[in-house]
Amino acid sequence: MLALADYMFYFLSLLILVSALGVLTMSNPLYAALSLAMSMLGMALIFATLDAWFLAGVQLIVYAGAVMVLFVMVIMLFNISAEKQAFSRGTVSGFFKLASAGVLLGLIAGSIYMSAETVFTPPPIAASEKLGDATQQLSEALFSRYVFAFEVIGAILLVIAVGAVALSRSVGGSHAND
Amino acid sequence: MGVDAFEITVNVAKLILIFLMMVQAVPILVWLERRGSAFIQNRLGPNRVGPLGLMQLLADAVKFLFKEEFLPKKAVAFLYLAAPVVALIPGALALASLPLGSPIEVAPFAMLGREWGPYIFKVQGYDIGVGIVFVLGVSSLGAYSLLMAGYGSSNKYSMLGALRASAQMISYELALSLSLVGILIVYGTFNFYEIIAEQQGPLEFGMFGREFRFSFLPDWGIFYNPIGALLFGVSAFAESNRLPFDLPEAEGELVAGFHTEYGGFKMLMFYIGEYGHMIVASALLAIFYFGGYGLPIPSWSTEAVNGFFAAKGFGSTSASLMTALVSHVSILVKIGIFLWIFIWVRWTLPRFRYDQLMDLGWKTMLPWALANAVVTAVWIYVINIK
Repeated sequence: MLALADYMFYFLSLLILVSALGVLTMSNPLYAALSLAMSMLGMALIFATLDAWFLAGVQLIVYAGAVMVLFVMVIMLFNISAEKQAFSRGTVSGFFKLASAGVLLGLIAGSIYMSAETVFTPPPIAASEKLGDATQQLSEALFSRYVFAFEVIGAILLVIAVGAVALSRSVGGSHAND
Repeated sequence: MGVDAFEITVNVAKLILIFLMMVQAVPILVWLERRGSAFIQNRLGPNRVGPLGLMQLLADAVKFLFKEEFLPKKAVAFLYLAAPVVALIPGALALASLPLGSPIEVAPFAMLGREWGPYIFKVQGYDIGVGIVFVLGVSSLGAYSLLMAGYGSSNKYSMLGALRASAQMISYELALSLSLVGILIVYGTFNFYEIIAEQQGPLEFGMFGREFRFSFLPDWGIFYNPIGALLFGVSAFAESNRLPFDLPEAEGELVAGFHTEYGGFKMLMFYIGEYGHMIVASALLAIFYFGGYGLPIPSWSTEAVNGFFAAKGFGSTSASLMTALVSHVSILVKIGIFLWIFIWVRWTLPRFRYDQLMDLGWKTMLPWALANAVVTAVWIYVINIK
């Protein structure tokens, strides 16, 4: 007997899969970016059905709301059409696409084969009782137990941001001299 | 949704009512905007249709409905038609998750030959524990409808307007979210009900082991974090693309920005989205800094009002219902005041230049919001040292 939550899960999974497929098959980069945003939205909704509200909100704010909006903006700004043709047609690029798809499939199949035992055994009930809105536990773990890793990731992201600005300003481009 | 038919019916009705509330507020706000602007600029404004020109709303609605549907020749049909619908989603979802009154406690009662209850109904569409994270997440999707409209119209003006609008929204979203961090540190929770409960009663706080109490002031967030309130208010203006930050609609250079190619009902849906954004921003301002649905007089807390109605001879259910009504009116009045400030500012201040807007966002608001968060955190740590 399928409960409402199961229907939600299958519907959202279908949404995520179809939009993820859309990212690959759409030849217009703007549509590809929009379907990527759609699949991120689906992920946020799946987090929400699992009662991981904080993760769902952060997924919306960071990925769907900030990162993908920037992608869509940049793609829109350049309105790529010649690159689109070069990218989606051609024997050499087709070969690379097939090869990388094969490698990815092999990776996924291998990881499923190796982790099948842990993935397909249902988790003990006791673990699922601790779910629910655990934002406070999350922040406590993040700022006490894993504070070093947290700060290091922050520092790395800062370095990346500063490096990106420095690179884009120093060599050529319209912002070189201002 | 609920355990039995009664609870499910009420919850569905609540969702529909809150959506209709947002939609219905729009014509009233448009009228207020026209009349208000007229009074500010020493004109009369719409005053011919019906008393005070109020029937103008109906006339506008009929006009919007009966305008010809058209599709620009080179438009991308799917994106062009989907954009107005997407514009409605963030405002509607965010508004439905905001508490608009104290919870109604319904005592068990008999109806249709069986026992029902007890229930607790919250005056909001749905309660999400992490409240503000959800609201910010949903609001951040607003940029998509603008981008879809700009690209789908295949029009230079729409495209430029959409780019400006979304760049502005992304920039000010940072300052908006960061300005809330200070008040979140003060209250230590994401939950709207807990935040509002903290703001009941008179202003009192402990500092360096001493107690301070101001019995004539309510315990509102603005007294704890005034800079955060100011930053939040200003970035809310920019987020909803209102003057003095309405660069996307700079008529002189961009015709009407991203909705240049839209008319009729599709245009109206963009309006509803924009006003929905304003309503959500005003409600957040009320919840975080002005006591939410609490009354502004310190001794009139929600329990006190409930006790007042119980003493007047109301039953427990109807007393709770009356309390919810009073608190609902209280937050509606607060939202109304902030909406009026939105309109007031629009017709008072001139527009910024685009580079000034970006400078303000990135070089002024963002550092101030960051500093506000850091200083609040340090200050709270310091005053709690024994």
